[in-house]
Amino acid sequence: MKILDSFRSALQSVVVNKLRSALTMLGVIIGVAAVIAMVAVGNGASQSVQSSVLALGSNLVSVTPGSQTDAGLRGAGPTIQTLTLDDMRAIQTQLGPTIKAVDAEQRTGRWQVVYAGQNWNTQVTGVSPDYPIVRDWPLTSGDFFTESDLNIFAQVAVIGAMTSQQLFGEADPVGQTIQFRQVFGTGPFARARIINFRVIGLLDTKGSTFGFSRDDQILVPTTTAQRVLQGQTKTVDTIVVKAASSDTMDATTEDVRNVLLQRHKIAEGATPDFTVTNQNDTLAALSNITATFTLLLGAIGGISLLVGGIGIMNIMLVSVNERTREIGIRKAVGARKMDILTQFLIEAVALTGLGGILGILLGYGITQVVQQIQSGLLVIITIGTVAVAVGVSVAIGVVFGLYPAMRAASLHPIQALRYE
Amino acid sequence: MTDSVIHLRGVTKTYRMGKDNIVHALRGADLDVRAGEFVALMGPSGSGKSTMMNVLGCLDVPDTGTYILANEDVASLTDDELAAIRNKHIGFVFQTFNLLPRLNALENVELPLIYGGDRHERRERAQRALESVGLGERIHHRPSELSGGQQQRVAIARALLNDPAMILADEPTGNLDSRSTAEILSIFQRLNDEGKTVVMVTHEQDVAQHAKRIVRMRDGVVAGDEIVEQPLRAEEHLATMVAAS
Ligand SMILES: Nc1ncnc2c1ncn2[C@@H]1O[C@H](COP(=O)(O)OP(=O)(O)O)[C@@H](O)[C@H]1O
Ligand SMILES: [Mg+2]
Repeated sequence: MKILDSFRSALQSVVVNKLRSALTMLGVIIGVAAVIAMVAVGNGASQSVQSSVLALGSNLVSVTPGSQTDAGLRGAGPTIQTLTLDDMRAIQTQLGPTIKAVDAEQRTGRWQVVYAGQNWNTQVTGVSPDYPIVRDWPLTSGDFFTESDLNIFAQVAVIGAMTSQQLFGEADPVGQTIQFRQVFGTGPFARARIINFRVIGLLDTKGSTFGFSRDDQILVPTTTAQRVLQGQTKTVDTIVVKAASSDTMDATTEDVRNVLLQRHKIAEGATPDFTVTNQNDTLAALSNITATFTLLLGAIGGISLLVGGIGIMNIMLVSVNERTREIGIRKAVGARKMDILTQFLIEAVALTGLGGILGILLGYGITQVVQQIQSGLLVIITIGTVAVAVGVSVAIGVVFGLYPAMRAASLHPIQALRYE
Repeated sequence: MTDSVIHLRGVTKTYRMGKDNIVHALRGADLDVRAGEFVALMGPSGSGKSTMMNVLGCLDVPDTGTYILANEDVASLTDDELAAIRNKHIGFVFQTFNLLPRLNALENVELPLIYGGDRHERRERAQRALESVGLGERIHHRPSELSGGQQQRVAIARALLNDPAMILADEPTGNLDSRSTAEILSIFQRLNDEGKTVVMVTHEQDVAQHAKRIVRMRDGVVAGDEIVEQPLRAEEHLATMVAAS
């Protein structure tokens, strides 16, 4: 029996039992649509996590105080302060041309910022001159800090696009003076600290990361942050090194670690008082998490597919039963076991395959609706997902159609013909 | 070696329905049919005629005994080989026609070609087979839209499609009026004239008189065998019927 004939008779019986076929396919349609939509959401999530990480700058190796092994304790005790600006300078001079840039950052918390009666509350961070290179973040106007700004603890600031919008509207902030205020105490005992900063640059817009706008912040020189804003002289939160390329990141990670081990006089085998993190590792860890997430979502869809498959098996068994006489007639005129088997298998596969295609369309529709509702959400349907969905629905047809088809094929011609 | 196309010796077939209900449908039947014969198989209801036909048509295999079909021992054949014999060498006609209700006449006739034989020009061949049984029209109608006689002619056309050497018919006229019966019998006689072996089960003596030989069964064995000296010709009967109407 030619496959074409099987297909013809399979399609015929699908068409004849329109309602039943549709209801049977529904299970597969919903299952495939669920897989497509869920995996699309999962893929989208992993993509946006990835781009969020890369939005912080690419090829980054960052150093934070404290060792990884006391990570569990870190939350409990005071933050260990071991990194300094000199560590950053040492990395700069010792690694020199093998890295692209290095930056030392010190967060100072949120400040009340005032310009011409406009109030705004935002995050102020001390950074060093290579920040724009390290973070891949150019200025739209003005200049960034220089070494001499750091040397003299200059009270200058570079502000984010959104912060500028809040304080200056559409006007150019460069050259204007803003006030940082910190209020201590409450009521009549309240005292305020007021510090003037001159805006020298405006950062380009960057959008948001993990739901937080990256454009609402004020940058000041690291030394100014330490001395003027925090009243300390030495430590920084993070040293961020930009490797020359993605390929040299492992080497750079090692080099940074060696420089600091030497400077901090850590004996061989002892636990260092800092942690070096490679961005690639972070990405790998995150993609691990999102992959698990995607897998989980896919599995939920997979279960509905399984249920759909059982529905197929059920209907195929009913169909074989109903068509016992037909099977007897076909055998009487010379159909072999294999002919009957393929006929029913192809019928099952036609049902699931068609269901799969409709499911893909429905899944695509669902992602479109989801995107309409939640416009920020990234959903990604890949060729791979579609191929797997089609493959799986066909496979389900084969797996769940096989038993009914075997039942049909093994019927005895005479018993089948005598069946009422 | 034997000159019979059908050579049946001591064939038994027992059906078990439940624990205590054992039916001996065949209890050692012997039969020889030579090529080109037209045999009518008669006997009371339940005497094993259908069971015998199913064995002859390779639809069923005997429990014991031998069935040699065209010098081939059927017991040695696999299910698929039996299917191939049904497809190419035997045309089976049933009392209840056994057409597929969802296919039209033409598609029903084409069915054996789907499972084997020469697949060339299958539409044309099915059409010619239908014409040869007098059904040039109504070939796109489904069985439910055809009369019993027409349905049986579709079934015969299907049986003839792969040009089998032998036609087996189990009460082919049992559900038909006398006019359709005469038509079917004339087709069988013509096929037999062309050299095909025909074995036909019937209850009716005057139908059996159209065959060249009558075999009688009783209680699962062959109980009588006679030659019909002057077989009736169905065409003549048909001509008188047409003249009368
Ligand atoms: N498939 C079957 N299962 C059980 N009993 C059967 C089957 N086929 C035939 N029989 C029984 O075998 C006996 C002979 O049947 P059958 O060959 O059909 O006789 P006939 O065609 O001469 O009327 C009957 O008693 C019938 O009930
Ligand atoms: Mg019978």
